[in-house]
Amino acid sequence: MTQYRTVHLPEELCAAAEKSVAEKFDSVEALIIFLLQEIVKNDPSQFDRAEEQMIEQRLKDLGYI
Amino acid sequence: MPHIATEMKKRSLILVTVDCLRADHVGFLGYPRPVTPNLDALAANSIVFSNAIVAGAPTYFSFPAILASRYPLALGRDVLGIAPNEPTLASALHEAGYATAAFLAGNPYLGRRFGYDQGFDSFQDFLTGGTLGEPASSDLAPQSGLSKLNRLIEAGSRRNPLSANAYDELYFWYCQWMSARQDIPMDKLRRYPAANVIVDQAQSWLSGLGDQPFFLWLHLMDPHHPYYPPAEALAALGLPRITARRARFLNSFWNRGDIGPQRLQRHRKEILSLYDAGVYWVDKQISRLVEALQPLQRWDETVLAVTADHGEAFLEHGDRYHSPTSLPEYLIRVPLLLRAPELSGRRLLEEPFSLIHLAPTLLEAVGVAAPDSFQGRSSWAQISAGTLPGGPVITECVDGCCNPIRPEDRLRPRLMAMREREFKLVINFREGRDYLYDLKNDPAETSPLPPGDHMRERGRLFQAARMHLQRTSDKHKTDLRLRALLRDLQQSGKMTAATQASRSVDEGRRASVRLM
Repeated sequence: MTQYRTVHLPEELCAAAEKSVAEKFDSVEALIIFLLQEIVKNDPSQFDRAEEQMIEQRLKDLGYI
Repeated sequence: MPHIATEMKKRSLILVTVDCLRADHVGFLGYPRPVTPNLDALAANSIVFSNAIVAGAPTYFSFPAILASRYPLALGRDVLGIAPNEPTLASALHEAGYATAAFLAGNPYLGRRFGYDQGFDSFQDFLTGGTLGEPASSDLAPQSGLSKLNRLIEAGSRRNPLSANAYDELYFWYCQWMSARQDIPMDKLRRYPAANVIVDQAQSWLSGLGDQPFFLWLHLMDPHHPYYPPAEALAALGLPRITARRARFLNSFWNRGDIGPQRLQRHRKEILSLYDAGVYWVDKQISRLVEALQPLQRWDETVLAVTADHGEAFLEHGDRYHSPTSLPEYLIRVPLLLRAPELSGRRLLEEPFSLIHLAPTLLEAVGVAAPDSFQGRSSWAQISAGTLPGGPVITECVDGCCNPIRPEDRLRPRLMAMREREFKLVINFREGRDYLYDLKNDPAETSPLPPGDHMRERGRLFQAARMHLQRTSDKHKTDLRLRALLRDLQQSGKMTAATQASRSVDEGRRASVRLM
């Protein structure tokens, strides 16, 4: 079961968002959920970590660390 | 904030980038064919870099470094282009009071969509016309009832390799026969504006400037495939027999995916002639640009840089064009010529120089401070004195990312090269392997050194790789990354597609948002 949390946003920002995306999203909640999903769905840092590990392993093999 | 150094009069800057121009195909770096007589003459009073190395390849991985002095994967490998509000060479000069203009010959990765218009008063990317690349053979085929029959024959032929090969061969020659019936001139076959069109636009813009200092960026595509140089360029190189019809055949042949390097070699020489004619045309048009500055009294106050975003493959390792599937010298080593009014005589710098340092170096050359966000550092003082610091330079890209518009193509392992003057380490993270080359004894990179050899060089270059990953991590530039992702979302149409999805969100299970 998905848990939810309350976040606090400036009223004027929400009002502006409601006005500018009213045709595309039913609510500010829907907009924010969509944006956060898009931002977290592709996490390129997983590649960065794997690549750093490979380099560190090679440096260990070579006796540098 | 960028500022003009008070002791220096404002100097103007021209940056000419040439798509696909290899370092070993310009006269001032030793190419024997006379394709760059004007640049060679210019080089006689310029700084010439014999080992200028791109920070990424191809175009979409190279230009973040050239324009924004930022390694291409530093904002996360899923980010393409320049992020909204990311400081660039153009924005720094614009803030310093320069008139700024860009005329780009229709490379789809250098348009407004990817933020390359930022900082320019005038921006013309010529992207309303055609697209890059040679059409597939099927595009050349007649669209008629025969198409249906053709598809049936093709499907049948794919049942075994012999008949598939026979089908591909027959179909290629059928398409050639069909296309030979149409006599289309070279200028109609070209997919992008030739350099003379770009220089015409630049001249027109320059003539209306008055005394204001300016920054002008030209991106020329003439050496990019498909190779359709102006007939005048072919005639000048003594190649009048390569007609438009012949060029069309050569490009179609060169683009074949169904034959191997051995057969492609058959027409390599003519393809190189077409490519060289494109380089010749670029050279001639740069000369026209310089000539136009002289009556405007601007040449004596202008710094000029000529370079490229990457090179081009001509079967050296069996490959063509410039896909980021490897980082050989012919893709990452590019010409770089830097002309400043006070320079006299030719200065040849042979240490590797990364184009990550080009933008801050050019800014210092005209007396404008570089933005703090730049990852490169100015080398103007050193190169003016005729030296360059040693040490490895780095090129990176996403391995096999040939269609960066598709997000899944960008989410792949990195490919990187650490290049010193003598040694070069290529790390292929997808394979989990690394390859060390001795460029002094094996400049063509025909065989990597055995894994147990040259441990000191390997260690040094792996340490450089480690430091690079630590320094260019995206975590310090989250704001730029998010802005770029939001821009991509807006342009991808996903925001519209999300409309329907948002309507299906269960009201009772939405996150609650307390308004403040």
